[in-house]
Amino acid sequence: MTFTRRTSLALLASIAITPVAAFAQEDYPSRPITIVVPYGAGGTTDISARQMATMAEKVLGQPIVVENQPGASGTNAMRAVAAADPDGYTLIATTSSPSFVTPALRDVGYDTLTDFIPILNYSGPFHGVVVPADSPYATLEALIEGAKSGVVTYGTAGAMGGAHLAFASVAKDTGAKLQHVPFDGASKATAAVLGGHVNAALVPAYRDLVQDGQLRLLGVLDGTNDPDFPDAPTLKEAGLAAEFPSIVGIMAPAGTDPAIIAKLEAAFTQVASSDEFKTFMTDLSQPVRIMSGAELGKTIAENLTAYRAIAKDLGN
Amino acid sequence: MLVDAFLELLNLWVLVAALVGIVAGIIIGAIPGLGPTMAIALLIPVTFSMEPIPAIILLLGVYQGAIFGGSISAVLLNVPGTPSSAATAIDGFAMARRGEGGRALRFALYASVFGNIFSCLVLMALAEPLARFALDFGPAEMAMLMLFALLVIVLFGGGSRLDALIMVLVGACAGIVGLDPISGTPRFTFGSFAFENGFQLIPVLIGLFAMSEVLLQAFDREPLVGDAEVPPLKSSVVRFVELWRMRVTLLLSSLIGTFVGILPGIGSTVPAFMSYNLARSRSADAAQFGKGAPEGVAAPEAANNAVTGGALVPTLALGIPGDAVTAVILGAFMLHGLAPGPFLFRDHGLEVYAIFEALLLSSIPTVILGLLFFRVAIHVTRIQPRHLLPAITILAIFGAFSVNNSLFDVWVMLGAGVLGFLFRRAGFPLPPLLIGLILGAPFEQSLRQALLTSGGGYGIFVGSPITIGLVALIGLSLAISLTLSLRKPRT
Repeated sequence: MTFTRRTSLALLASIAITPVAAFAQEDYPSRPITIVVPYGAGGTTDISARQMATMAEKVLGQPIVVENQPGASGTNAMRAVAAADPDGYTLIATTSSPSFVTPALRDVGYDTLTDFIPILNYSGPFHGVVVPADSPYATLEALIEGAKSGVVTYGTAGAMGGAHLAFASVAKDTGAKLQHVPFDGASKATAAVLGGHVNAALVPAYRDLVQDGQLRLLGVLDGTNDPDFPDAPTLKEAGLAAEFPSIVGIMAPAGTDPAIIAKLEAAFTQVASSDEFKTFMTDLSQPVRIMSGAELGKTIAENLTAYRAIAKDLGN
Repeated sequence: MLVDAFLELLNLWVLVAALVGIVAGIIIGAIPGLGPTMAIALLIPVTFSMEPIPAIILLLGVYQGAIFGGSISAVLLNVPGTPSSAATAIDGFAMARRGEGGRALRFALYASVFGNIFSCLVLMALAEPLARFALDFGPAEMAMLMLFALLVIVLFGGGSRLDALIMVLVGACAGIVGLDPISGTPRFTFGSFAFENGFQLIPVLIGLFAMSEVLLQAFDREPLVGDAEVPPLKSSVVRFVELWRMRVTLLLSSLIGTFVGILPGIGSTVPAFMSYNLARSRSADAAQFGKGAPEGVAAPEAANNAVTGGALVPTLALGIPGDAVTAVILGAFMLHGLAPGPFLFRDHGLEVYAIFEALLLSSIPTVILGLLFFRVAIHVTRIQPRHLLPAITILAIFGAFSVNNSLFDVWVMLGAGVLGFLFRRAGFPLPPLLIGLILGAPFEQSLRQALLTSGGGYGIFVGSPITIGLVALIGLSLAISLTLSLRKPRT
């Protein structure tokens, strides 16, 4: 091997680069981190991610910028982050729908399981099965029984959302005639059930309306009970084989250094478990639900499989 | 509630937003050829990072300022900045040629403020009760209401009904692109992820109203305003007694403006001419109209300003915009997380009442700034739009991109601009297209939701008192429209 000017330059360059690569995770973070939010500014996902970012800045010692990339129910932002450099400087605060609902339905240009590393889950609004206060149905069982003799309509936040798919699977298993009516967002579905235009609705943010006596909560779609309403059963407790777990978590593009992931998981978990964050989320009417990155990955994997099966049954 | 909302306004940023908005509006409106819709469409992206209250106040300030600014160029140059100030130009320009331009502008200003205050009070009285009523509006009721709105803009929007119908249908067809609202399957997306969200309202708006104007003026060889002699502006005063004498005219014109504004889809040109004609027929000295009667300036100005408050009633209570401008403001409300409908007043009552009060109080700075700007306005009207076209283009591209940080939206904006240019060049009106785009998709969704809840039965569309009332209104407007066109002598 003869040393030309070019090879020596290459050698020099590699010497110069090696230590940077080796110690990247120790220096991390050395510049501002971007957290992409797949929804518009001002929604609950955005507000909670911004609070998370503000508080984690102090722990990590670098500014955290929140960038909104709304559109296509969150899949645009997921695709962009999946393609971003896995250097720990681009993260995403995401929810159930772009993580395991939409990808189960059609090609979205990314695979949640192979293109992302989950860091932690920190929230997730409970979705309730609600009926008007004067509804004849007092329990989930009564609702399902009622739907066997006549059509029961239920509203959700949109076509092919997690809530719709969960109830579609219930309808298939039980033979109940549950007619889905998709609305443009959860608040319109809530308005429709309040006005009596649909028999039931599967919506989050029901707490005040239920406590106020305008709506009756029959059950929750999540895997666990809502601590505000411990008596409302999960679908599984009511003997129905379906659930729609609601997640709000942070993920990084696949290929990110495990040491960086560990550092981020520790920092974000510290923030999420603080009293200050809990108070903030309570004011926002959002629960704090902490899951480790590994648990979040398992939840996403299980539900992706379950939702693919449901979507297949629905003929998609 | 009213006091708490007022306290929200005691914020430096709110004041800055209101003043900046009004000044920007007066300037943009005074430039011949640039109107309020374009001004708001261009400024929405600027408000993205602002708090909701100052953001909306800025936009409403722009709107109020631009309407008054439009009357400046109408009075001084006989070039209405907006179609709705065309009625103002008739007597306003006649007064200006007599050397009474300053008086005409003062009448226009005071009448605008009167109309604005009147309609704002009506808005505050009606919007919340109507919103409470909104829970009764299920899918079937919404479908019939939107059908009525689309029908009204076609039948009574002014101009050719066929043109308006074509434009509404073009808009509704553009609304089909994206995910099917009921089954969630992609429609006309050509396998592209970018199309799944459909065409976003704000890029389309910016394209239709700002970009098309740029293209229109760039391809138009004749300048809109030559180096016409601006009539001299003598210092003058309008005494309160003179306004008191036309109190009935002001009141009737504001009533017409407000209630025509509540009807979705008509806009402000029709009420401006309606109240001009009414003022003339009621006047003891009708011969003066057209030759420079102050009442001929005051009547249309009171009416076209009163439209805003009226048009905001269905916009905020039901999410159905009354005209192009409220459609833009509706977009701004949604962008800032204030979703119209039954929960708007429950969840965001403070913000909404703060905005109402700001709308009411902004009359004070409008009068002060308006009076200050008379002198400057003469120079502003001499600005040739062509000097502003590059800046508008840059703002339009920047604005379209910043909605979702996506380049696709920029292409949508440019596409809408070219399409809008072609349509305007061919003489088609753009507001029906916008209303068609905004109401098309929700109309389809409500119609199909209603049929899902009824199990496919069409009886649901006459199944409640509200739907029966709306069907009656639809029948009535068809009948009125038919009789009017039969009675009109064919020429």
